Amino acid sequence: MDILTNKTFLITGAGKGIGFHLAEALHELGASLILHTNSTDSMARIQSRFSLGQHTFFQADFSSPENLEDLWKKQISGSLKIDGYVHCVGIRSRRPINMLKTHDVMQVMTANFASYVEMIRLVTRKNTYNPGLSIVGISSISAHAGGSGITAYAASKAAMEAATRCLAKELYKKEIRVNTVVCGQIETEAYQTLMESKDDQTDKVLERQYLGLGKPSQVTDIILFLLSEKSAFITGSAIPADGGYLTT
Amino acid sequence: MQDRECVIVINDGNDTGFSIVNQLINQNYHVVLIERQLPKSDVAFNGIGTVEFFIFDFYNTELIEPEIKKLPPEIFPVSGLVYAAGIGGVRPLSLTNTVFLHQMMNANLYAFVEFARCICKKKRFKDGGSVVALSSVSSTKGLKSKIAYSASKAALDASIRGLAAELADRKIRVNSIQKGWVRADMKHSFIQDNMALSEADDLAKQPLGVIESEELAHMVVYLLSPESRSITGTNLVLDGGYTL
Ligand SMILES: NC(=O)c1ccc[n+]([C@@H]2O[C@H](COP(=O)([O-])OP(=O)(O)OC[C@H]3O[C@@H](n4cnc5c(N)ncnc54)[C@H](OP(=O)(O)O)[C@@H]3O)[C@@H](O)[C@H]2O)c1
Repeated sequence: MDILTNKTFLITGAGKGIGFHLAEALHELGASLILHTNSTDSMARIQSRFSLGQHTFFQADFSSPENLEDLWKKQISGSLKIDGYVHCVGIRSRRPINMLKTHDVMQVMTANFASYVEMIRLVTRKNTYNPGLSIVGISSISAHAGGSGITAYAASKAAMEAATRCLAKELYKKEIRVNTVVCGQIETEAYQTLMESKDDQTDKVLERQYLGLGKPSQVTDIILFLLSEKSAFITGSAIPADGGYLTT
Repeated sequence: MQDRECVIVINDGNDTGFSIVNQLINQNYHVVLIERQLPKSDVAFNGIGTVEFFIFDFYNTELIEPEIKKLPPEIFPVSGLVYAAGIGGVRPLSLTNTVFLHQMMNANLYAFVEFARCICKKKRFKDGGSVVALSSVSSTKGLKSKIAYSASKAALDASIRGLAAELADRKIRVNSIQKGWVRADMKHSFIQDNMALSEADDLAKQPLGVIESEELAHMVVYLLSPESRSITGTNLVLDGGYTL
């Protein structure tokens, strides 16, 4: 994937999990990165990990996407033209319907979906990107399979995928592609925390995800492919990285 | 009143909603119709069942819980909920700001989930009951300038699966109908949409032609009835071949 060397990529949610692993992979390949986190902890972590290299950092809370435009203009735009954008920001939510108030639904929709559209609106403006720009959103198998208590999370990921189909049609004339990666259960910090909070240590999802628990590198490999010109013919699609889950 | 099964229909002045109400009262249901405004005077209902009206602005989702509490207690527990409300709208990405996204999500997702939350409680909804929401083929098809609308319908369809999984314990079923171009909707948005989409003629993609509201209403009534007792968590397609 040396075709990614000397290119510039924006990763939001690069503080941990898939975003962090992707930043490592692209850093190794010699790409320039614009890395985002929400928390100060994560910012400190990536600033020390990626201190060597042509990288830019910014911190923003995606619960208020309406503030992103200002921040983007002040801190990022004008400095670099990007070749790829990967949206790894996401919040998980588990609430039974009798406790799922509009406010809770909105919170999840805002962080997972509205911020994705808002960032795409900003990065697809003139002089912000190079032709061939590839945008990747991280979706989830929850967008396709129902589960108790994940109504809001599932809706937010399905919304991302639907928006991606429309954006692909709208942006192809500007030589921009947009896709999502539909993740199954991946072994990230968030997954470990989730499992530790459970009474029994069994994960029902893995009964259907017959290739077992996914490694972050198995997802980032797919993202690297989608960022590269090798996937030039793929747009508007939702590529499963699900260990077979959606086939069972 | 409880010799008749009661169904709550949420509608935003749409003829499809009225058509659903008419078929329900033909089937001897008691219908509680919740609208945002008084329907125009030419809307008439007749059938052997009965219908009651309630009006409030449910797109202000904070009103939903208090207004549901104000409904006459004798209608509960109901056996069905139909969400036929929602809004459309087209905008290119450059104008699709967060406010617009929220507006669309609010009418097409948040209000539905809030109604489900307030109505599907044990004391208000019968075990074995059925919830139906109207979705669109835009949920699965990409169209230019329909980012917000498509996303809101896909979100609605995904929420259906979450709710179905959760309410299955009580044998409550939750489904949506992904509709193509229905005559009643075309009055409102067809021309506007086609111009903005600049996708020649979107209707031409629907080889079986325009869908009449009655056909859609039939499908809703079927999903509410025990005849569909094993259908849950699905998004039924009624699109005249649009997605072929
Ligand atoms: N791991 C899995 O099994 C799995 C499965 C399916 C889908 N996914 C999706 O993949 C994506 C990444 O998940 P992950 O498990 O790798 O990582 P994660 O631990 O969920 O973290 C994702 C990132 O989102 C950022 N973030 C959270 N809330 C934010 C907010 N309000 N504003 C801005 N940024 C915020 C976090 O920033 P900080 O670091 O600053 O906190 C973090 O860097 C998510 O969208 C998730 O839904 C993951």
